[in-house]
Amino acid sequence: MPSHRDEESAHLCLGRLVNRFGDDNERVMALIGLMKEADATDDATLEVVLKEYEALLQENPTNIPIVKRRVALLRSIGRIPDAVTALTGLLDFSPTDSEAWSELSDIYFSQGLYSQAIFALEEVLVLQPNAWNNRGAAPHVHQIGIGDQNDSAKQLAEALKRFCRSIELCDDYLRGYYGLKLTTTQLLNDPPKPSKQAESDGLSPPNLSTLQKLDGLATEKLGEITRRFTAGERGWRGFEEAEIVAARELLEKSSSTTVR
Amino acid sequence: MAQLPPQTIQRDPQLFYWILFPITVVMVLTGILRHYATVLMASPPKKVDQPALKEQRSLMHGVAVRSNFHALTAPSFKARREFLTTAFDAAATPPANPMTDPGAMDGMMGMMKNNMAMMIPNTLIMSWINTFFSGFVILKLPFPITIKFKSMLQAGVATKEMDPRWMSSISWYFLCYFGLQFVFNFLLGSDNAASQMAQQMQGMAPQAPNMFGPGVDANKQFQAEAENLAVIKHYSVLDDVEQRLLEGIKTR
Repeated sequence: MPSHRDEESAHLCLGRLVNRFGDDNERVMALIGLMKEADATDDATLEVVLKEYEALLQENPTNIPIVKRRVALLRSIGRIPDAVTALTGLLDFSPTDSEAWSELSDIYFSQGLYSQAIFALEEVLVLQPNAWNNRGAAPHVHQIGIGDQNDSAKQLAEALKRFCRSIELCDDYLRGYYGLKLTTTQLLNDPPKPSKQAESDGLSPPNLSTLQKLDGLATEKLGEITRRFTAGERGWRGFEEAEIVAARELLEKSSSTTVR
Repeated sequence: MAQLPPQTIQRDPQLFYWILFPITVVMVLTGILRHYATVLMASPPKKVDQPALKEQRSLMHGVAVRSNFHALTAPSFKARREFLTTAFDAAATPPANPMTDPGAMDGMMGMMKNNMAMMIPNTLIMSWINTFFSGFVILKLPFPITIKFKSMLQAGVATKEMDPRWMSSISWYFLCYFGLQFVFNFLLGSDNAASQMAQQMQGMAPQAPNMFGPGVDANKQFQAEAENLAVIKHYSVLDDVEQRLLEGIKTR
């Protein structure tokens, strides 16, 4: 068992929450369930918890915290189709729940259903239009989804535009620059054939000089971020170590291909 | 013109202990009592059943799509628009009569309860003061005021020539009625239900448009929303975003 688990404190906090809000409060119910899940040692106990959730939902089908716990539990015990069904059921009567949409997109993405994942992410964008981290997530899916799509030009162009937008919203968004760099490299090395449909949708990739400028911009900015992070400059330490490492690898890879 | 000598009235000092003080204490205590009565009588927020929730959230979803359409690309927006307009047009249910809708009745009962909690103590205290303390002049304000205040401050004391600075007991009651809000804020916290003033203010303020309240015609709302969606001329933030980005970087 990992050492950072502190069940005693968790139980204590939960006890206080129950005392304050009562155990029929929806959020407290979800927390109680979460605690039971955490205490469960085998699948049989988890099944019991799942049964409890279903009983609670029978009583009150709009208990959203419990619906979400049930989805999470279903996903964690590997019953992905059931989790998706439960989530779509939730989204049917509560389509403004961005948390549920992003969970749904994550599940679809993990199953390789990229266009469904993109649809769900677009819903998140509609509900939270200025969340640049979500904007970052959508193009990743676009990009990875290219492999099995026919209109890759459209997909790549949209990914490019979305990365640009997320950078526009957040100046030093490392993931945005990383994705931009990846996409421009891909577009420059292997320009896709222009398709009629992409043009009619306003999603044709930008011309060569723009692409090169964007590529230069991304390279420059990634270099700046990694350099300043490594130097430990004030105001530049907030990045994830792993992301910096990945950015550096990307830069090294692209510079070696340029030399070759 | 010669200055009139200041009026002096020989008052019993006991008036302070037997009238002024009791009225104030009673006012404070009823305020506190009213607060706790309201807390006890408050009906818990009503559970929304699944179809109603779906109705509300779907409408909100439509509004979200309408106001944030620029986050989507043209094809994905078109797909959503088609889906939502057909769905909204199909969702046509006649509105329920608010008088027969038990939910709406609950809301009205809540309002009635609040009004009762406000009115009954007021009536009782007013009549109590009128029976016991009417006609007493209990204090003199420490500052001069004009004759216009006479009718307000000397309610229940019909003496023409008396200086308006003299106050009767019923006036003291009104002063407490309007002025104790800050005492209640101090005693019970700022969101207390003790002060009548706050509640009257609330009543006077224009009612916030209640989108999903009883009696609102959901059918019409859906149709309006479908229409709103249908007339949107789509543009996307993704149009020319790369140009914007490059220019923004250059000018910085």
